[in-house]
Amino acid sequence: MATDRNFSPASGGLWHWLGRASGLLVYLFLILPVLVIFLSAFSPQAYPQFPPNGWSLRWFQAFFENPAWLRALQVSAWLLLLVVPLTTLLGTTAAYALARLTFRGRNLLQAFVLSPLIIPQVVLGIALLYVLTGMGLAGSLVGLAIGHILVALPYAVRTVSVSLASMDRRLEAASMSLGATPAYTFRHVTLPLIKPGIVAGAVFAAVTSFGEVSVSLFLTAPGTVTMPVRIFTYIDQTFDPVVNAVSALFIVLAVLALVLIERTIGLTKAL
Amino acid sequence: MSRPSSSGNALFSWLLLTPGMLFLLAFLVLPGMLLIVLSLHDVDGMLMVLPTYSVAQYINVFSSATYAHALGTTLWVAALTALLCVLLAYPAAWLLVTTRSRSWRTVLYLILISPLLTSVVIRTFAWIVLLAQNGLINDVLRRLGLIDAPLALLWNMKAVIVAYVQVMLPFAVLPLATSLGEIPAALPRASHSLGAGARHTFMHVILPLTIPGMMSGAIIVFALAAGSYVTPLLIGGRLQPLLPIAIYQQALQIANLPLAAALSLSLLVVTAAIAGCMSYLQKRWERRVYGH
Repeated sequence: MATDRNFSPASGGLWHWLGRASGLLVYLFLILPVLVIFLSAFSPQAYPQFPPNGWSLRWFQAFFENPAWLRALQVSAWLLLLVVPLTTLLGTTAAYALARLTFRGRNLLQAFVLSPLIIPQVVLGIALLYVLTGMGLAGSLVGLAIGHILVALPYAVRTVSVSLASMDRRLEAASMSLGATPAYTFRHVTLPLIKPGIVAGAVFAAVTSFGEVSVSLFLTAPGTVTMPVRIFTYIDQTFDPVVNAVSALFIVLAVLALVLIERTIGLTKAL
Repeated sequence: MSRPSSSGNALFSWLLLTPGMLFLLAFLVLPGMLLIVLSLHDVDGMLMVLPTYSVAQYINVFSSATYAHALGTTLWVAALTALLCVLLAYPAAWLLVTTRSRSWRTVLYLILISPLLTSVVIRTFAWIVLLAQNGLINDVLRRLGLIDAPLALLWNMKAVIVAYVQVMLPFAVLPLATSLGEIPAALPRASHSLGAGARHTFMHVILPLTIPGMMSGAIIVFALAAGSYVTPLLIGGRLQPLLPIAIYQQALQIANLPLAAALSLSLLVVTAAIAGCMSYLQKRWERRVYGH
């Protein structure tokens, strides 16, 4: 029974069922805010009521009629065009090298690559603000893209690593023993095999960039206000029910991303 | 297996590693080092950065009652969030690994992963809609006749902690579910056949084996909670004595960059030290229960 992974405690016991019931409550707590957002987005009033008394699309209409919101959407979209390909490229190459190289300190290097996940984002924000100001990039689209790539890179490295770990390395060896160069093997054998991880990494990069706010607030300027930054300043200063509709749009995008991740590397391996 | 060109192989891997490393050197290591230099600069009365060096900013940070209080509150809130997350994560992970139906497990995973794909501003905003004076909870309570005047649920640390727990719970559930899932089914069965009850088995077999998973989750949640400012700023308000809020204000509103740098580095060092201690304890426990 080397790989008997099916954890099965004393089923039927009172504690077991009590555990499962409280688990269910925790999932309800997790999903509650998402339900609230949908309730608010389609509510005819500024503040949603429960049970809902009718529904309307007026907040969605208000969003698409507001040039400032559309401008923020445009900035976020431009950022995606910069961030997703670059993060995927840097993440894929780094994950491949980390998986194939064996040297002392490899684990340390891996921890270093994943470290932006754990470093307080307020620290990343101020450090980048200072350096990018020195380079004349603070407040520019390029500066924001650099911040987003830094935050998204660990996710891309992780998803590609998942694909690399489940890949049969003998295929690479076979390719090279037939005379293919490492570069040719990487391009024609490895890349097609780890494509699911790369796609999942691109999805994570897109979602991270599109929702990033903590670092962006340090790097933004009036001309480069992204969607989340605009939402932040709106919530901070006024109450605008349009945010409800924007939030619902974000959640729809998250669901699309979930479907893509499930179809590529599978949700269970995403983290 | 013959590897005709294993040195060319390694060279190619090093080549592929280069762009990522250059990026991280330029935008993670260099900014980190410049942040240290910046924190050692003096400022004049107009908050202009002077070319002279001193540890004045750190003296400012550690001698001020305000910042000492803010650091204490930040660590306390982060620790409480981590504790609550681990407590709630246990039943959630339990349900995840004991669910046999594949489609139900996918639903649970969906609920767990979806917060990671939703912007933190959106999730925070949902809590504002719930907790505001004319928000959903007050509305429901008033209709039920339980309250006459709306309760002040927003703008306090309790609301911040509730929102934190909801936002960060998945980070605690996933490692715990992994370590629960790795327990061989034979172990609890053996414990039962030796006469141990369900509770005894849990306390003496399952719980000790899942402590590493609980610790991994706690470390991540602690580090994230200690370093984030968006949720507490929007839900707790700008007056909450939390260090990340102070850093945000010093950097962007007061524009005292050296002080903000000194505050950031103090926060980073203290959080990293605590996370490092937790990780050391985790490794020791792992050696004890798994023997390697």
